[in-house]
Parts: sequence; structure tokens; C-alpha cells
Amino acid sequence: MSLFRFFRRKTELKEEIDSHLNMATADRVARGESPEAARRAAVREFGNVPLVADVTRERWGWLRLERLTQDVRFAVRQLRRTPAFTITVLVTLALGIGANAAIFTLVNSVLLKNLPVVDPKMLVHVGNDGHDCCVGTINPRDNGEYSNFPTETYKQLKKNVPEFEQLAAMQAGFTYRPVIARRDGAQTVARSVMGEFVSGNYFETFGLRPSVGRLLMDADDVSGAAPTAVISYEAWQHQFAGDASIVGSTFWINTKPVTVVGVAPRGFYGDRMTNTPPDFYMPIESMPELANVTYVHEPGTEWLYIIGRVKPGVSMGQLQEKVNAVLRQAFSTQDGFSTEDGKKQLQKVHATLTPGGAGIQTLQEDYGSHLHLLMWVSGLVLLIACANIANLLLVRGMGRRTEMSLRSALGAMRGRIVRQLLTESVLLAGMGGLLGLAVAYAGTRMLLVLAFPGDQSVPIHAAPSPEVIGFAFALSLVTGTLFGVAPAWISAQAKPAEALRTGARTTASGTSLLQRSLVVLQAALSLVLLVAAGLFSQSLNKLQNSDLKLDVRNRYIVHINPQAAGYVQTQLDALYRTMEDRFKALPGVVKVGISAYTPMEDNNWSNGMGIQGHPEVHGLASIVRASPEYFDSVGTKVVMGRGIDVHDTSTSPPVAVVNQTFVKHFFKGENPIGRRIGSPHAPGDFEVVGVVEDTTYTDVRWADHSMYFLPLMQRPPSDKSPIEQDMSLYAGAIVIETTRPMNDMEKLAQKTLADINPNLTVAKFQTFNEQIADRFTEERMTARLTMLFGALALLLATIGLYGVTAYSVEQRTPEIGIRMALGAERSGVVAMVMRSALIQTGLGLAIGVPVALLSVRYIKTLLYEITSADTQVMAGAILTLAAAACVAGIIPARRAASIDPAKALRAE
Amino acid sequence: MLILKTLQWGEQHGYGISQAIRATSGEVLQVETGSLYPALHRLERQGWVTAEWKQSESNQRAKFYKITSLGKKQLASDYERWGKMVATIEGIMTAERGDA
Repeated sequence: MSLFRFFRRKTELKEEIDSHLNMATADRVARGESPEAARRAAVREFGNVPLVADVTRERWGWLRLERLTQDVRFAVRQLRRTPAFTITVLVTLALGIGANAAIFTLVNSVLLKNLPVVDPKMLVHVGNDGHDCCVGTINPRDNGEYSNFPTETYKQLKKNVPEFEQLAAMQAGFTYRPVIARRDGAQTVARSVMGEFVSGNYFETFGLRPSVGRLLMDADDVSGAAPTAVISYEAWQHQFAGDASIVGSTFWINTKPVTVVGVAPRGFYGDRMTNTPPDFYMPIESMPELANVTYVHEPGTEWLYIIGRVKPGVSMGQLQEKVNAVLRQAFSTQDGFSTEDGKKQLQKVHATLTPGGAGIQTLQEDYGSHLHLLMWVSGLVLLIACANIANLLLVRGMGRRTEMSLRSALGAMRGRIVRQLLTESVLLAGMGGLLGLAVAYAGTRMLLVLAFPGDQSVPIHAAPSPEVIGFAFALSLVTGTLFGVAPAWISAQAKPAEALRTGARTTASGTSLLQRSLVVLQAALSLVLLVAAGLFSQSLNKLQNSDLKLDVRNRYIVHINPQAAGYVQTQLDALYRTMEDRFKALPGVVKVGISAYTPMEDNNWSNGMGIQGHPEVHGLASIVRASPEYFDSVGTKVVMGRGIDVHDTSTSPPVAVVNQTFVKHFFKGENPIGRRIGSPHAPGDFEVVGVVEDTTYTDVRWADHSMYFLPLMQRPPSDKSPIEQDMSLYAGAIVIETTRPMNDMEKLAQKTLADINPNLTVAKFQTFNEQIADRFTEERMTARLTMLFGALALLLATIGLYGVTAYSVEQRTPEIGIRMALGAERSGVVAMVMRSALIQTGLGLAIGVPVALLSVRYIKTLLYEITSADTQVMAGAILTLAAAACVAGIIPARRAASIDPAKALRAE
Repeated sequence: MLILKTLQWGEQHGYGISQAIRATSGEVLQVETGSLYPALHRLERQGWVTAEWKQSESNQRAKFYKITSLGKKQLASDYERWGKMVATIEGIMTAERGDA
């Protein structure tokens, strides 16, 4: 039956009953009764008109829907009658659900999202570590685990493992090696952009189609082929306004001509999630020429990630075995594996096959643990929100006990009453869910800004996906039914006669055990969250305030790439001098340092060390090549001997400066001045001339970091290879110290460099402070969000406690009136109400403190130099909660104290 | 059954049916409107009666119910069952105790 017919029949029924009544009246009038009396008698005879109509309609089988609309309408009316309650519940729900949906959006798009490619399920990543990066030597490893491979190994895998329909390789560390690109033409500007070198079948492996032109093919990826490139859709749209004539045009990439053959598909952001996706994809075989690197064909240098598409029906176990066998075969010819010990180590060599649908999961590995933690935290907040709403509904349910009793006394069915209450809560949950989505949308944007500050190019969108919308609604409905059942059930237990008779005369049983347990639970949970928030803030604080032994005041870091700009090693000395002179000539500039990389950036070069005369001492140390003013420019203090100075040139005797940890580790704390260090094979290459303080490089967590510093252009005398192969001579950064903050420094740097050479672009510009702040992004996000959630939890718990206390005061008004009539002091009443509020909080604390102490061990790995909740954090959390409890208790307590005994008693 | 029987005499509206049952039973049976209308709508759904809107004798628009052939069959079988039941009850009521 259609809804339309339903309504027509409903009017018809009314008409039918009317006609019945009319005829009955007419008969009676005909028998001589007065019209009014006749009508009354007819109606009396007919009985309960609406009931008859109801029962009749029930025959149609439509009553359920009708009741539902009635219930909904009634629920809306009820909710509008108590706006304070409704708004509190909606806000609570919106925040609880919104926070969860926002976190889930982030989790969904960071941790669960597949690459936008064809059939991502069939992709397999050969390896399991997105941090096995970027260029290294194949050597035995203790765990035998490899995720990064030489070109030769890739080729052997491709040839010998036919289970892969396609096997693609891609540059592991492209984000560390931007290229300089300029479109051919007179008015074009060179820009430092991301370029990734990939195998010819890269796009085919992902099953992609070009937006315009064609994608790379195997024919592009052969030695000697004319260099080609595919541009990303994003770059095509944003840099070149979607100009189709770009296909076939020439670009100057690292000053070499490259033909752009096509545009990658829209939305494709490469093989991994990063805030710097590649603008250009180029074949591996063009890399030696374009990037001027030697390692592409070195069989012992690992630099490629591998992702393959397996043929249907291939057993992963067998595939895994086969891949490992090929790897061992490929590695067996390497130096490190040819010794006796190396042969044993070879047996351990393996690459773990992992699902490759999401690509290389570097970002996922970085954010995973923090996101999982945030999911837990937001889950707890939702739990508190639910407890709160259950409590509010309980309070409301109890308050309406008299109403319910009256309704059931008037014949309402118990099931109907329960259904009515359930409708109300589900309606609330639904509305809360909608609001929650709005909060989720805004929240996700905020999370993205927090998680990836300053980056709009992360391929993550704030718009909640259908999954998230589904998740939010499922969540709100489950919550709705969950917190709807308890009050509904309790209300339905009401025995009408009893409830109506006893009225409101109750004493301590004003609040149920369930309600009080909910408040205790809330208090406990919010304490846990407050402690977590305290710990993360403390951890962040420690990180940010740790003494990095450097100076950030008026310092700017300009990242450069002279290699990509076309400089060969023999031109570098002159270039560095020119850069120093030009920057020093800028007004306001005090010091100019040039170095391979700078403190607190995501970069590190490590070498195995040897000490002359002590073959038993070995270990790794980080190397930084630096100019004479470098130490001053970053604020590193020389504590012994001298720093690098202008006389240390490519022709002067080779010298090195080491840091204090280096002295401790390699010289056992003895005076190192005059001693000689070098590689394990040539330990006498450099004379140590000075010791500097331990400035923090790469990561605050990297304690005991041995470092040594060499003049920019001094090569180890033992290294007889031509200078043209020495990549380490290329500097990566200029550090500029000025007398005052200079907002136009970026422009000045660009101009100064372009004046030297138009291809010399700024790869990245940051103040020293910004660079350091970037290293704490994840910690800052976690600290801020746990703080936010902690505050939310506290607010919710306070509302909960307030609700229960206020309700109990209301219920006990007559009792309190009697007490006061019998001479109870106002202060006594206040104390009585406060006592119960504080007892609940105290119980919450008693549960929360041990739980919080226990939880610390689960988050310990995410904290810096914190292993347990110290008294400061604990006391802070407890005091905050206690203060909130006092606020929540004092308002109802004062209301209780202001009860006028006479009025309270008369009200009965 | 009574409603169907009443309708066998001709189409009739709800009020008419209740009056008719009351009159023919000599005021003994009073059909509650609370059962009459639900019953009528059930019969209509089962297809034993049909209904249409017409003018009544007193010029009042009313819904007239008419028995269908299916309804007649149902009436016959119901009546037969009723007869059997009455006979059975009668048999029990008038039975002599068989033991000595």
C-alpha cells in the first residue's frame, strides 16, 4: 500500500465513523431526542472514537509507521521543551562523534588508503621498511632485512621471478634530491622541484593511463635513449595552467635537455604519501646524466625501492622464498658477503614481502603510532561523552517517572513507552551525528594543519569519505541505542501506583548506583586523559627546551643544490667563495656558513671511522663538510684547539674538527689535538685540530652522536679517485646570520643566488627556528591533541558530575527542606552535597591514578626522556580534576542551601 | 459471520449493520463499534466484502459494504462449522452419564 493511499484511507475512516455518528444521531433525533443529547448519546454509544480508529487501522498493518511518526513528533516536542538538556546532549555528542570521525578520517586517509591505481590489492612491496633509505652500501646486517636495492638486483629479480606480472623500481630518496627544472624559453625561471627516477614500467605496473600524451615505457629506460620525463597532473595544472602544448616540449632538468612526453593521471601522487610529491618522473637510465650520480650502476649500492604486481593465484609463501633466493644470489658477489663471516650472514638475507597497495609507507610508519594513540584517546572521549549522555538521559528519565507513571496508568503500553524513549535517544543521536560530521570536517582540517603544518600538498583531503560518514552514523546510532536502553528500561520498571503515590519523597536514593558509577567512570577516564595530556606536553617541552648547543637568533637556512645547477666539482671552490662574498655584501649579514647539511634537519651522512695507531677502535661518525664561518653561523662553540679557517683549502694539509662525543668514544676522553683520523682503511688522512661542543644534528633523540667536520674542499689523501666522482664536495646549505630579523631574506637569497647563476635556485628556505620546529611536528600534534581531548574529557566529566549532583539536589528538595526546618545549618547542607560530589570524584581518582600509571608504559615509546608519570604531572591532573569537581558541586550545593524550608514542605 | 449474514440481505453501511444485528437478535446482541469497524476492515482486506461510498437513505454519504462471492463461500463454510459446533455442544450438554 502506498503512503498516499494510507493517508486517503485514514481520512476515509474518519469520514466513515463520522457518518456512523451522524446516522445514529439522526435516528435518535427521529425518536424525539434533542440534537445535542442525541449526539452525545451516539458518541457515548460508539465508545472511544480514536481507539476504535486506532484498532481499525491496525488491521491495515500500517500502525508501526504511524506510531513511529507519532513518536518522532512527540520526541521533537519533548526535546524542544528542554533546550538546555537537548543542547548539552547535542554538543556532547557532536564533540564526541566529531572528534572520533576526524581522527578516523585522518587514520583512514593516512593508514588505510590505497594508491589511486588499478587493482592495488595485487601490488606487493618487496621490503617492509620505508625508512631503509636512501643511498647506501650493501653490507651484512644483523637482522638480514633489506628494503632498498641496487639496480642490478632489481634487474635480476625482474628476470628471475616470473610470478611478477610487472616489477617496478623507484628512487628511494628522491625527496632528498630535488632537481632544478626550467621550461625551455626566454621568460622561464628555474625552480627547485621534486623529481623521481623510476623504471620504465613504473606506470604500467600501476596500471595507469596518461592525462595527456604518453607515460614512460621500457624504451625510455635504456642507456643512451634521449632523456624523457612525465610531469605530474598537479604540477601541470598549477605551474603550467594545464597547457597541453607542454607535451613534446623541452625542459632543462639540472641544466640538461629533457622531453616531456606526457602528463600523469589526475590524483596520482607517486608511489608514497609525502608532503613533497614528485613533479617529474624520469627513467632510471637517464639518472647518471641528469643527476650526475655514479651509483646507478654500482652493483653494491642500494638506492631503489621495488613494487611489483603479482600474477593472480601466486602463493605468497613461495614467492617470498624465491625472492629471497634471488637476493642471496645477487648479494653473494658483494665484498661484504665474500668473507667467511659474510657467507654466514648471506643466509639471513631476505626482503619481507608486504602489501604494496598503499605504496611505500614511510609516512604511515612515521604517523602510525601517534595516530593509533589518538584513536584510543578519542575513543575514551567518546566513552565519556556516552556516559555523560546516558547520565543526562537517566536524570531526565527519572525526572519524568511521574509522567511515565501517569501515562501507563492511563493505559499506555510499557513497550510503547520504552519505544518512545528509544526514539528520543536515537533521534538525539542522529542529530548529534549530523553535527558531529560538521565538527569532523572542521576537525580534520585542523588536524591536517597540525599534522602537516605549512603543507598543502599532502594528498589527504579533509572531506570525510563515505566510510567516515558511515562510521560516524554507525557510531552515533550505537551510542543512541546504548544510552537509550538504560533509562528506557529503568523508566519502564516504574510501577505506576507506587510512583504516583510516593511522589518525590526520597532521600539518599535520589541518584541510582548506575548514575554514580557513570560519574566515577568519567572522572577516572578524564584523569587518565589529563595525565596523558600532561605527559605529552611535558615531553614536547623537554624536546623543545633541550639544549641543542646552537644559536637560532636571526639565523636563516638556505638549502641549495649546486650539483643540479650544473656545477662540476672543480668549479665548487670558486662558487663557495663567490657565495660567501655576495651574501656577506648584503647589508645586515654578519656571518655566512656553507655546509653539506645543518643541525636539526632531516639529513645525515655517516662514515665508518679509523683512528691512527688504534686499529681496535672503530665505529660510525657523522661527517659534515663546512666553511670557515660555519661554526659561528650555527652557534657551535669551539672548546679546544681551533675551528675550520680560511687557510684550510684543497691544497693545505687535511684537517678535521671533532665533537666532544667523538673524543669520548674514539679517544676515550684523551686530548685528540694532533692525532690522526680517517676511514678504517686509511686512518691517517686527517689531523684533528680542534674540538667543538655537541651541537644536536638530525634528531634530539640521537644521543651520543659522534661527529667530525672537514673543510669544504679537502679530500682524503688516500682517495685516488678522480675529483669528478666525489659527491661529498657538494654543499647543501648556506647558513646566514644577520644583525636583526630580516623578513625579506628569502627574496634576497633568491636574488643573490640567481645573480651568481640563474640555475642556482633556493631548494628550501626556512629560519633556523622553523627548521627546528619542523622536527617536532608529530610530537606537537600529539601534545596539542591530547591536551584538547583532555580538556574535552574534563569538560564532559564536569557536566556529568554537575548533572547528577543537581538532579539529586532537586530530588531531595523536600528532604533538605525538612532537615533545615529541623535546624540544619546552610553550611551543613552545602557540605552534605559537596561531600557526595567529592566522594564520587575521589573514587574516580582512586581508579584513575593506577590506570594512568599503568598506561604510561604503553605510551613510553612516544615520550622523550619520560618513563613514568612524575608527581608534577600527576598532581596537576588530580588538582585540575578536583577543581572541576568543586565547580560542578558548588553550584547545586548553593542551590540546596538556598532552599526555603517552608516552601519545600508546602510544595508537597 | 453475523456481519456477513447481515450483508447477504443487501449492501449496508456500518451503522446499518450494527442496527440490523441488534434488531434481528431482538436487542440481545449489541455489536460494539470497537469490534465492528476493525472486523469490517479485516473482512475487506481478506476480500470477503467490498466497499464503496454511496448516499444513504437519509441522504448521508456513507461507506456501503457488499458481500463478495468469496465472502458467501466463507459464510457458508462458517455456518456449517457453527452448526457442527452447536450440535457437538448440544451433544455434550444432553449426554447422559453412561456408567451405572
